[in-house]
Amino acid sequence: MTTENQTSANKMPVPEKAPSAWERFKETHVWHSFIKDRVAQISLTIFMGYVIMALFAPAIAPFDPYDPTQIDIMNSELPPSWDEEMGDEQFWLGTDAQGRDLWSTILYGTRISLTIGICAVLLQATIGIIIGLIAGYRGGRVDNILMRFADVQLSFSTMMVAIVVLAVFQASFGTELYQDLARIMLVLVIGIAEWPQYARTIRASVLAEKKKEYVDAARVMGLGQMRIMFRHILPNTLSPILVISTVQVANAIISEASLSFLGLGMPVSQPSLGSLISSGFEYIFSGAWWITVIPGIVLVVLVLVMNLLGDWLRDVLNPKLYKG
Amino acid sequence: MPLLEVKNLEVSFGLRSGEVKALRNINFTLDRGERLGLVGESGAGKSVLGFSILNLISKPGRISGGEILFEGKNLADMSPEELRDVRGNRISMIFQDPMMTLNPVLTIGQQMIECLQAHRKISKENARTIAIQKLQQVQIPSPETRIDQYPYELSGGMRQRVVIAIGLLMDPDIIIADEPTTALDVTIQAEIMELMVELCERNNVALILITHDLGVVSQVTQKAIVMYAGRIIEQGPTREIINDAQHPYTQGLMNALPQMAIPGQRLNQIRGAMPSLQKIPTGCAFNPRCDYVRDACTQQLPGYTASGNCQVACHMVAELKQAEQASEGA
Amino acid sequence: MTDSKITEQTDQQPETLVQIRGLYKKFNISGDFLDQLKFKGGKIVREQEFVHAINGVNLDIQKGEALCVVGESGCGKSTVARTVMGLITPSAGSISYRGERIDDLDDKQLLPYRKKMQMIFQNPYASLNPRMTIAQTLEEPVRLHNPDWSAQQVRDKVHEVMFSVGIDPSWGERFAHEFSGGQRQRISIARALAVDPEFIVADEPISALDVSIQAQVLNLLMDAQEKRNLTYLFITHDLAVVEHFGTRVAVMYLGSLCELAPTKTLFAKPRHPYTQALMSAIPRLEDDRPPHIKLQGEVPTPVNLPSGCVFHGRCPYANERCKQEIPKLITTDEGGQVACHGVEEGRI
Repeated sequence: MTTENQTSANKMPVPEKAPSAWERFKETHVWHSFIKDRVAQISLTIFMGYVIMALFAPAIAPFDPYDPTQIDIMNSELPPSWDEEMGDEQFWLGTDAQGRDLWSTILYGTRISLTIGICAVLLQATIGIIIGLIAGYRGGRVDNILMRFADVQLSFSTMMVAIVVLAVFQASFGTELYQDLARIMLVLVIGIAEWPQYARTIRASVLAEKKKEYVDAARVMGLGQMRIMFRHILPNTLSPILVISTVQVANAIISEASLSFLGLGMPVSQPSLGSLISSGFEYIFSGAWWITVIPGIVLVVLVLVMNLLGDWLRDVLNPKLYKG
Repeated sequence: MPLLEVKNLEVSFGLRSGEVKALRNINFTLDRGERLGLVGESGAGKSVLGFSILNLISKPGRISGGEILFEGKNLADMSPEELRDVRGNRISMIFQDPMMTLNPVLTIGQQMIECLQAHRKISKENARTIAIQKLQQVQIPSPETRIDQYPYELSGGMRQRVVIAIGLLMDPDIIIADEPTTALDVTIQAEIMELMVELCERNNVALILITHDLGVVSQVTQKAIVMYAGRIIEQGPTREIINDAQHPYTQGLMNALPQMAIPGQRLNQIRGAMPSLQKIPTGCAFNPRCDYVRDACTQQLPGYTASGNCQVACHMVAELKQAEQASEGA
Repeated sequence: MTDSKITEQTDQQPETLVQIRGLYKKFNISGDFLDQLKFKGGKIVREQEFVHAINGVNLDIQKGEALCVVGESGCGKSTVARTVMGLITPSAGSISYRGERIDDLDDKQLLPYRKKMQMIFQNPYASLNPRMTIAQTLEEPVRLHNPDWSAQQVRDKVHEVMFSVGIDPSWGERFAHEFSGGQRQRISIARALAVDPEFIVADEPISALDVSIQAQVLNLLMDAQEKRNLTYLFITHDLAVVEHFGTRVAVMYLGSLCELAPTKTLFAKPRHPYTQALMSAIPRLEDDRPPHIKLQGEVPTPVNLPSGCVFHGRCPYANERCKQEIPKLITTDEGGQVACHGVEEGRI
């Protein structure tokens, strides 16, 4: 009977009220290293700028590049507005070969590139996480089969798979249908080609987590395998997932741009950043450099900030680094 | 002059939330060949003290006050070159995990020879002879073949022996051993402790043994220091402290051991836990856990009172002693 | 008090809760199928290597007792604990709970036993899921094993166990990393107690804690045993704890049982040479402790087990018979059991 009194007297100096999620976040290592790291701050700001551009493209853009009635072929290949001879105040970044406002087209292109990138990564992550979790948790033969499968997938380069699939699709179903389905096809192809990246990362951290005693505790409790995998192990592998996701989105955007550049991606009527670069390529020697260079810079900056953010996250979330 | 004299040592750590004192007001001496035990629970600052003696505190920590006099010279303000001459050469250190000292990709011999050649002008052959001799001293069977093995080929106990041999290489004056047997099994721990006592006695080496295990301190050391929340709370001859501890914390620590209780009965636990360094209570740091707490304990940092040959930081020493004598008399 | 408890039990024909019979466990350490292929004498042969973690252990755990298993690292004591809990499937042998075999059941069939058998783990820093709050951690088992309870009933139960282990129930919204090691171990104990088990396996529950905290946790375990009428299988390397806590002690060496005896008997008169050496090695506070018995050599690897008695290579009393014949447990006059030819022949 005396136990309760004695043990409850063992209160430790823990503050009375549980802090809110935001207060807790402000105490974390992530937050502290973020407010100290200038590069991460700038990268995140630029990235948020891109996201806003993409989300509100229809509101920001002065023209709708998909609307043929707003396009005048007479305005084609106008240089940016700072060119005093030829520039037009209406089109501050100039126009492309079809007379579309380049600024509006870039806004819509960013929207398409980011959407494809993020959707492709969501697909990769879903496949990769499920396969990685099962392989890591079950181990043994299941693990062997799934991982050999991943190795086979990895031995084909993403570009090769994408080019073959998209070219065959275009050839057999015609360009017409392809143009309608381009977005979905790109997401599928890039998504499926890159899942082993996720599967391998997740498997490695599941193997590490599986050895920890809280997993044994969950088994002793009698929890089912599914619940242990998704409720107990998965949340503890979120850090690596977050890190590789940022890098993978950048990779997916690059893949999409490359495919579009090769004419296997988004059609010219709905240009992504890649197809925009490609469409301007023919005119680069006739002096209309801006059609290629400006979307190019936009793409490079986007990929760069995503990679910088990914690097920063990896450093911050690496438990080996922040223990010391 | 004592071999090592630590005077008013203070070590601080600069944290996000401000500067925190990890060690405060540390004073003790160590004579040649003397074996000293530093006891305390995790967070008491015993390892920090071990590192600071060698001026090995790394950022964000620093020695923020006091002196560490080794043969009269202050280690706290020595140049890096002078320090290098002392570290490993005159004072060596043994860690809990042997793999912290041993490089897994080099053979034991390569590491020992490299260490010897770094401190002395000596040929490889001579260095090897000395290395084998030291391995023999730590009772490693067939040292001539063992010397060419890699650390992973040895068992945990053997590795710790090798680390001790490396510690002895330069014939140091002081060995600082930080929990050297905590990771080992009891039978091996007993062997290694016996070995260390024997080696220290034979070579007249002083030993600073950092441990949480009062049993080990009792068997190995002549002098003991009990630490709590970054401060020495009691120091004196080991036997006196073990048999007649004065500070309520030392008493509590000893009474909490299962061997001190009647089997099947509740153990005499100390309530609560050691405070973190950011939240050390005012007055005596132990006061929230102490059974004999008075007003003075919560207001004033206790100074050191001599009791027998011991120094005790407790306001209640005299009173407790009287009460004890009274109960014995009755 | 303890004495009366023991005698009471022996008088009343003890009820066996858990029965371990002929338990063997070997782990394959030879890797993939491809790694196992070796080229030998002009032929490709498949070679497999095993770690023999448990080699024929028989143990009965009686209701209400605290059976302590001691031994040094690698002796298989933790493997025994994990096999009993069904975390590892044995290579051979059986485990029964109240007479029903449980080692060959699947997860679903084991569920009713999970409510009765719980486990406390060694490392308080790894045994709590870092992404779950304490309340979530504790509610999960309660809900799983009492699916018809209301949310309020579950919450009340969680409050009750938190209170009984000395954790303020209002801290439920916090995460494990906000607590100290001792507090985390209390939470682990609360999790085990939350389903009202009758049998608890504790795998080195205090060895990662500080001395003053060890005492608190040991007291808590003893209180829980008294109040909830628990039976413990207590795994530890610390003989001092065993002497204090155990009703009976089983000493293991290299996967085999050397000696099994009531605690008092064992500490008063250890019979097996290994037990004697182990006991002489405990660091004691007293000045006049018996001299430490030095063993020759090192513990052999469990990959290539020695023939005969596994201890013969290090035993000062070993003879030819010890090298060839595996000793069986024999009952001694004092009521303990010991597996030693020397004791059997009256040499030791």
